[in-house]
Amino acid sequence: MTLAAGVSYNTLVVVAGVAAVGFAAGVVGSFGVLRRRALAGDAAAHATLAGVALAFLATGRRDLPVLLGGALVAAIAALGALVLVRRVARTRDDAATAIVLGVSFGLGIALVSGITARGIPGGAGLEQFLLGHAAALTAADALLLAGASAVAVLVVVAGLKEATLVSFDPAFAAATGWPVTLVDYALVTLVAVMVVVGLPAAGAVLVTALVVIPPVAARQWTDRVPTMLPLAGGFGLASAVVGVALSAAAPRLATGPLVVLVAAAIFTASFFFAPRRGWLARRREQRAVEGVWTRGRVLAAAAAPAGEGFLRHEIAARVAGVDAAARRRFDGAWLALVREGALVPARPAATGPADPAGAGGRWRLSTEARGRAADWSRRMRAWDEIVRTRPADARTSLTIDLPDPGTIFRDDATRPPH
Amino acid sequence: MNPAADPPRSGSPPPLLEFHDVTVAYGRRPVLWNIDLVIAAPCLFGVIGPNGAGKSTLVKAALGLVPLAGGSIHFFGRPFAAVRRRVGYVPQRESVDWDFPVTATDVVLMGTYPRLGWFRRPGSRERTLARECLARVGLADVAGRQIGRLSGGQQQRVFLARALAQEADVYVLDEPMAGVDARSQDLIFRVLADLRAAGRLVVVVHHDLRSAAEWFDRVALVDMRLVATGPTADVLTAENLQRTYAGRLDVLDELGRAVAGRGRTT
Repeated sequence: MTLAAGVSYNTLVVVAGVAAVGFAAGVVGSFGVLRRRALAGDAAAHATLAGVALAFLATGRRDLPVLLGGALVAAIAALGALVLVRRVARTRDDAATAIVLGVSFGLGIALVSGITARGIPGGAGLEQFLLGHAAALTAADALLLAGASAVAVLVVVAGLKEATLVSFDPAFAAATGWPVTLVDYALVTLVAVMVVVGLPAAGAVLVTALVVIPPVAARQWTDRVPTMLPLAGGFGLASAVVGVALSAAAPRLATGPLVVLVAAAIFTASFFFAPRRGWLARRREQRAVEGVWTRGRVLAAAAAPAGEGFLRHEIAARVAGVDAAARRRFDGAWLALVREGALVPARPAATGPADPAGAGGRWRLSTEARGRAADWSRRMRAWDEIVRTRPADARTSLTIDLPDPGTIFRDDATRPPH
Repeated sequence: MNPAADPPRSGSPPPLLEFHDVTVAYGRRPVLWNIDLVIAAPCLFGVIGPNGAGKSTLVKAALGLVPLAGGSIHFFGRPFAAVRRRVGYVPQRESVDWDFPVTATDVVLMGTYPRLGWFRRPGSRERTLARECLARVGLADVAGRQIGRLSGGQQQRVFLARALAQEADVYVLDEPMAGVDARSQDLIFRVLADLRAAGRLVVVVHHDLRSAAEWFDRVALVDMRLVATGPTADVLTAENLQRTYAGRLDVLDELGRAVAGRGRTT
């Protein structure tokens, strides 16, 4: 069914179901990511294929509820195996995950290809669970998936407080009487459920991406769990719906890769453009710190010479040194100070104000800037003193505050102890 | 736990905290060796010792976070599990991910969770309490800030505020002065002294001998075994410190010789 062929009732229900799955994957996946269980989810996801094949072999039926039931058992069995390999065989987390993922996925592939090779009736098409094929969903299937998704979201919302506590500080949670292991198991079981529910849309190989990428993208935009969950849900929903719509428009394409690519696009945009944590914001902050700091150094350096003023290159030599990055920072700071009116030509008649970068003329500080410069020099001495005599305090307490250069340091250390 | 082995003491109230013959081992390696320690009355109590002496293990054992190989630990004459609501806890700062998306207030509210129980959310009473606790540690103005954007000393004070929000009778703090600026350290010690003045027992794992002598009423010198315990001035003597810290140097010397010897033969 392509979208162009007209939107049937079935299509609408499937899209709604996939939207619910995407939303729930983002919400549930948030705790998978915050509790650092993303890889466990991936192992469970890869195990689902074996579960699907075994359920088919055991029942001879291809109904989605039966197959997904098998997938869920397999996913939980994989998580159990993970704990077992880690505890009993005393293997590290990453190695244990690789073992369980590899073995269970190998089993799944062997079973599915065996079923296909022997031409067992009704066995064709099981490989759709590898990469996802949402177009094969019926309205009844979609309603089942949406129902399971709704339950998963409700459980997470009900246990928001407990899940946050255990994910953030398990030692404190345990000391104050919370059953950390139980909450942990509940969380990974929910992740397993979402991996299974996401199977028809994204497939065993890629469904983890639907559970992991939206939360990581959402984390870029917010510093609060209660905001992160719906945001991750929204990103998951958008990925699932757009991915499924794209695959409907080109029915030969598996759904999973398209869903993941949409999620990746959202992640990339978040990585670059998120306020504060985004790459652009951090770069801007870095530039602002440079600017504040270098302007301060220029002011302090310019405060020293009195009388007939100073030459630009004298200050540059003292502040910038010779490397290109230092010169760039100095040039920016000098220009900004001239524009602010802090640096003025010492003899306006000789050097025009329209020649801010001009190297020839002598410069002086404006009266207002002289006060700022004195202030800066005083602060700089105080900070030098702290960094020199109490390096431990300096490391933990000095922070460059933006954008107001007047309060550049939010320091506990310079204040007297009480 | 055999009740006959621990008869109820008639007359005087049971000690606030009691370690009886406690041994803890990580795998086959013992880290605490037959610790007997009784803290009878409220005070500011320091657990002092060199790195790797088992100080943190001692308090983790008390809070049921590491299993005992032998012995027993009682708060108010009862096992910890029965009285955990009366015990506030400040874990080591490195034990959590400070990039976690929670604010200072969110973290302090976690101290009220045991009283709330399953699924109930903090209400206005809890929020008021969290605000007060943050104010007591001087963090009222950063209440809404994500915890990763606080300084080390401020992060430690957030943990202390969370313990205050537990409204406990005994407070256990694991290295609260690690990576903390002088002002924060002073502020934390003042809050702890206030707790003692209010009749609470405060047990602090601490590594700095100078501030230990200044602030603690009583201390325990620990180096796998309990070297000495009692009033601070009586315990922090040159002889005791020699016994606690010099032993470690000997071990290091032996280790050094062993390594050097092996280096020559292979």
